[in-house]
This record gives sequence, structure tokens and C-alpha cells, in this order.
Amino acid sequence: MSSSTSGRDDDAPELVCQIDCVHGMVDALSSARWKRHQDAVMELSAHGIVVTVEESGCLQAKVFLKRELFLEYEFAAEGRPRFGLSLGLLVDCLNTFSAPGHSSEVEIRYPGPDMQLLLKSVGSPDACMYAEIRTRIPDTVPWDYHFEHAGNTPVNFAIKSAILKESIDDLEWPGSTIQILMQPDPPSVILKGDGHGDLQVEFPYYANTDLLIAFQCDREVSYRYKYKFLRATTSNIPSSVMKENRGTKVQIGRGGILKVQHLVSVARPGMQYYRNAAGGAQQPSRIAYIEFFVKPEEDVNDA
Amino acid sequence: MELSMSGGALRTFARCVTCLARVGSEVALQAHPAKLELHTLNSSRSAYASVSLARDFFDQYHLPASGHAASAPPSTPLQCSVLLKSVLAVLRTPPAALDRLAVSLPDPDAPKLQFILHCLNGVRKTYWIACSAESEVQTLALDRSRFPSHLVVRPRDLTRLLSNFQSSLQELTIIATDPAAGLPDAGGDVGGKAVELRSYNDPAKDDCDTRLHTQLWIDPAEEFMEYVHTGDPVDVTFGVKELKAFLTFCEACEVDIHLFFEKAGEPVLLVPRFALDDGSSSDFDATLLLSTMLVSQLIDSNVAQQPATSAQLAEEPRTGATPSPVPENVSNHTKIWSELSGIPSCGTGHHCSTPKSFEANREIQAQERNASASVLNHTSMLPRVINAPCKPPVADNANNTKVISANPRSQHHPSNWVGADDNDDDNEVDEELLVQTTPHYMD
Repeated sequence: MSSSTSGRDDDAPELVCQIDCVHGMVDALSSARWKRHQDAVMELSAHGIVVTVEESGCLQAKVFLKRELFLEYEFAAEGRPRFGLSLGLLVDCLNTFSAPGHSSEVEIRYPGPDMQLLLKSVGSPDACMYAEIRTRIPDTVPWDYHFEHAGNTPVNFAIKSAILKESIDDLEWPGSTIQILMQPDPPSVILKGDGHGDLQVEFPYYANTDLLIAFQCDREVSYRYKYKFLRATTSNIPSSVMKENRGTKVQIGRGGILKVQHLVSVARPGMQYYRNAAGGAQQPSRIAYIEFFVKPEEDVNDA
Repeated sequence: MELSMSGGALRTFARCVTCLARVGSEVALQAHPAKLELHTLNSSRSAYASVSLARDFFDQYHLPASGHAASAPPSTPLQCSVLLKSVLAVLRTPPAALDRLAVSLPDPDAPKLQFILHCLNGVRKTYWIACSAESEVQTLALDRSRFPSHLVVRPRDLTRLLSNFQSSLQELTIIATDPAAGLPDAGGDVGGKAVELRSYNDPAKDDCDTRLHTQLWIDPAEEFMEYVHTGDPVDVTFGVKELKAFLTFCEACEVDIHLFFEKAGEPVLLVPRFALDDGSSSDFDATLLLSTMLVSQLIDSNVAQQPATSAQLAEEPRTGATPSPVPENVSNHTKIWSELSGIPSCGTGHHCSTPKSFEANREIQAQERNASASVLNHTSMLPRVINAPCKPPVADNANNTKVISANPRSQHHPSNWVGADDNDDDNEVDEELLVQTTPHYMD
């Protein structure tokens, strides 16, 4: 939906959208938090909102909130507006809107008179909470990792998020770079750390049919990653992910770039379903996608 | 050495490691043909903990044939020493999530000990822990039969008794008397309670924790499952931290605690008491050996002071302090006064801990008034109390101090006492805020 006027009205907002479950959005955005202060870049488009966070050029997280997750989504801009804001501030601000027992419908509007992001609670006739967050012009363009598959066939596996998180937590003990090795024979994924102690965590494909939900690997692939970056990919997975037994997909692309994808449910159980603009009821996938990209350490062990 | 365990044994193993980790920082593993032993010693060498796991404890237990150990004579058990912190890191995965745990040491000189955890969800975690080059842990073995006295207590009962003491308590004194010795009933409530637990405060430490003293008289027939002590009263003072670790261990394993003791200066020995009806023996065992203070809390205060230190486990010297000439009645020795400031009608401090002690308090006051040699057997403590009613009575354990104490003669702090004259250093206590005596109890 876009404005029909050819000369765009300067006062018309570029985006007005409504979410019905703030808590879900907070969960999704929190997954990308690994530090107290993180500068995020928010990009608005007709397809939805993307929030990107980066660190030291080696780690990037992207949270995709597609338009279907919103109760309403009116986008009326040319191009894709991008602005910078503090991720922690955004999450904390959204949190204040989600009080238990109250309707947590929030309207997000951009831009405000001074290019702020405006948030307003709706759905309660008695009171209104209102917030505005200052935005800034982002200094840098987020790195586009151009994730490509190395070779002809992709090298990836999928595992329950809870198991991956537990394994990465255990790998804190060696306290060194972590080597991720995937091998076709016997088919398995091995995470290894050796510091003041050695630890190796193996996910053998044949050990248990439930362990590796998916596994694709036709040649041995091995790269090393800094532990703190690897840890950032799972440290703040919301508990709903564990409860719903969701899986995480891990891929190793060209050059050893690691891509970790989580699925975070944005809907609260018992919430009413979204009705699309056509008026028909549908069961949407109330899932937000979180993607992490991690660059490998310099000493790459080639397959 | 290769071994593997699962199920209940795995849970017990985790508990053993947790207990050992609360005592010392390094564990020495010794693999004998019939059992595996884990030993640890705490940093001040005052506590030694050991766990013994029989061959049957494990699902698999393989040792190299003695012929292969070329460098070591066959009688030397396979041995290695690792940090307990590292073993705890291995056991971070809860035993409930594990199918089995395998431990292996490829050869006696191997630099690393290997732990493989097979999780129920299919994940396999392999840890390699570096072995320490030299182990400081020795093996200590004490024959239980050399201890003349012992008691058996349920862990939850002991927990309940210890809960009467401040949680920051460092050392505890157990005063054991012969329950068969006829006690003249001195004060009603105290008589018949043959065992006393008393907090021990290091006089050299001047922090808030030393201002609370607690005494607990208990009837062993009610609190303990077994209690054997004959002859003179004895007391043993030892550290509480390791005791609590052992207590937690026994409680989790659902076994009673068997405590063997002799007298001050001799170590106390704690072992689990398995209640096995069918005469079989348990497939694991544990030992905690605690050193005790050399100087007895029961010693007459007239005795010349000797510098005293906690006994080292390896030595068994006898303190030079002379025991009191007369076998005292327990009631005398156990009626020391708390060093809390309180209203003294004549400078005596008051207990605030248990009603029983309050009874004793009243009793001494009555004695002072009577100024008689007393209903109780005499001890040199009483005359002092009577002669100097307005000065703080010296506690009967006044001379028991550690080497570092500046004042070798008195254990208590002058600042704790509010004297009739104005020489108190205790500037915390205002005259008006002195604690009023509680009304007569149970009269």
C-alpha cells in the first residue's frame, strides 16, 4: 500500500504499523543482543523491517520482522529508509509497553517531526503511552556478507536450538577459538576447543535420529571461530525457542563464513490470528527469522 | 585405566566430586585393582577427604596388567592428579541427561585424563583434563577402632542442630560427656544433656561474627542414633565448612553420619553409615578426617598458657596444658558465658541463645549470691566469679587461644564487657540500649 499522491506529502509518515504482541517482538530483537550497547541499523521496506547489528566486522546479526507479523502495516516511502538507533534502547522501550494484563498493541510510526521513531500504545481507551526514540544517520553500511555456498553442494546441518546453545555454553570452559568440523564419513559435526583444557562436542548423525534434524556435507570442512562471536549467536535465545523445541540451521559458506539461523515465535499463545487485508482469516507463520554471520579466524584449515 | 559408569552410580560420583571440591582444590586418583580412590586435602591441611569406589560401582573397570607398567613396580597403583574445578566443569551436564560417563587414562604417564560423556540426546562430549605433574595429596588412613568414642546422627538432624548457629560459623566444638555419669541436677534443664555443641570464635578475629556465641546442649538419646562415650568429658574443635560439605553429601546419598572422636588434638573421623539390612556392603565409601584444636575448651583456666595451634593431620603431638585435676561435672564447664553485652546485675554477661543456657545463667547468679562453694563440684572457676562479681567472669576456656592472639591470657575481648566501672571500650553499646534480661523462664 503506498500513497497515491504523486508529490509525496512531507508530513505523511513513511511507515505506520501495528503489532499485537510486543513481547514477541522484544524476544526477537533480544536475540541479537550480546552487549550492553549496540548500535543497530533499522531498515524499512514494503516487505517488513530488518534490524541489523554488527561487531568488529566479524559478527553480524539480522532480525527479520516481515510484514505479515504485524496487525497493520502501511508503508509509504520511496526506497528503503534506513536509520540508526540503539538496540538496547529500542528493546527496553518496547518492554515498557508490555505490561501484564494490559493490551499490548503498539503502533510504530516513522518518521516523527525530528526523524524519531514514534511508539504509541493503542487498544486501551483510558490511557495512552507514548515514546519517541531519537535516530541517527548510520555511520556505516552494514556489511553484506554475500553468503554463498562453497562448492556445488551446501554444507549445513540443523539441530535443536537448545542443544546447540548448551554445547556452546560448555565450550566456554576451554576458552579458546572453537573449531567447527563437518565430515561426511562418519557423518557428524564436531565442535572443538582447546585452551587450558580440551573439549570436543560431537553431533554424530547416526547417534540418535532426533539429534541432527538435517545434515548435508559431501566433503570435510573445518574452520575456526572466535568463541565470543560464536557465543553471541546463542547466548540470548529466548526461552520460548526452547519450550517450542525449535531448530537452528547452521551453514558454512564460501570462505568459512558461518551462518546461524534461528526461528523465534512472535505470537503469544492464545492470541487471535491475524486477519489479512482481504478479510480472510489465515494461519500465518508468526515467526521472526534471526540470522547471524560469523567470519572465521585467519588460520583457515581448508577442506 | 578405563572405566565407565551410569545411572545411580553416576549421580553418586557427581555428589562425591562436589563434596571433594568443597574441601580441596586438587584430587588425586588412585586406581587399585579392587577399587578407585579419590583423595583431597584442603589448603590449610586441616581436612582430608577421601572417596573409595569399589569395582562393582562401575559398569566397566579395566586396569592395565601390572606387567605393562614398566616404570612403576606392580604394587604402585595407577595414579594421577587433576584440578577439581576442571572435573566440576565436566560434570556441568546434569547426570540426568547422561546415558553414561567413561573415564580413561591411557597410561600412567599420560598428560591428560579423558572424560567422555554420552548424552541421552545423542551428543558426545569429550573432555581432556591436564594432570598435575606432582600431586601434593598423600594417602591417610586411620583405623576406626582406635577411636574410643563415636556418634551416629542423621544428616537432617545434624542440619537442624547446626541451624541454631550462625551460618558464618567457622569452627565448632563438640563437648562429649559420659551419659552414664550421674550428674547432680544443676539447674534442671541442663542436667541429662550429655553433649554440648558450642561455637568457637577465634579471639584474634575482630569482626562482627565473633560477637555471637552459641551453645547448644543436647540429649544424645534424642538427637543421635548412637552415642558412645565413657570416662572423662572430652571436647573436639574443628572446622565447619568441610563438615557441611560432608553433611550435604550424606544427605543426598541418604546415609547417616558416623563421627569418631577421641579428644582435643586428635583428629575426628567421619564416615557414612550405610543402613544395609542384608549384610552386603556398599559399593562406595567416603572418609572425612578433620584435625582438631590442640587446646581443649575444657581446660582449667589456671593452667599456664601455651601457644596453641590446630593439630596438623600428620602429627600427633600432645599439648602441654595440664588437664584439670578433678574430673569436673559437665555442668560447670559448659556454663561459660556468652560475651554478648548484656545488663549485668553484677557484670555477668548473658546468654541469648537458648533457654537452657538461661537456666544456667540463673544458677550461677544464685551461686554468686550464696557465695557458697556450691551445689556443683568445685572448680577453680567459681571462686573467681564470686570474688569479682563486678568484673567480667573469665570464661573457663579463657586461655585457649591461637598463636596469633595478642593477649595470651584471655580469650574474650574487653570491648565486649560492660563493667561497672567505666572502662569499656565497647563504644557501640549505649547504657540505655543494654539488653534487658528476659523474664524468668518457665517458672
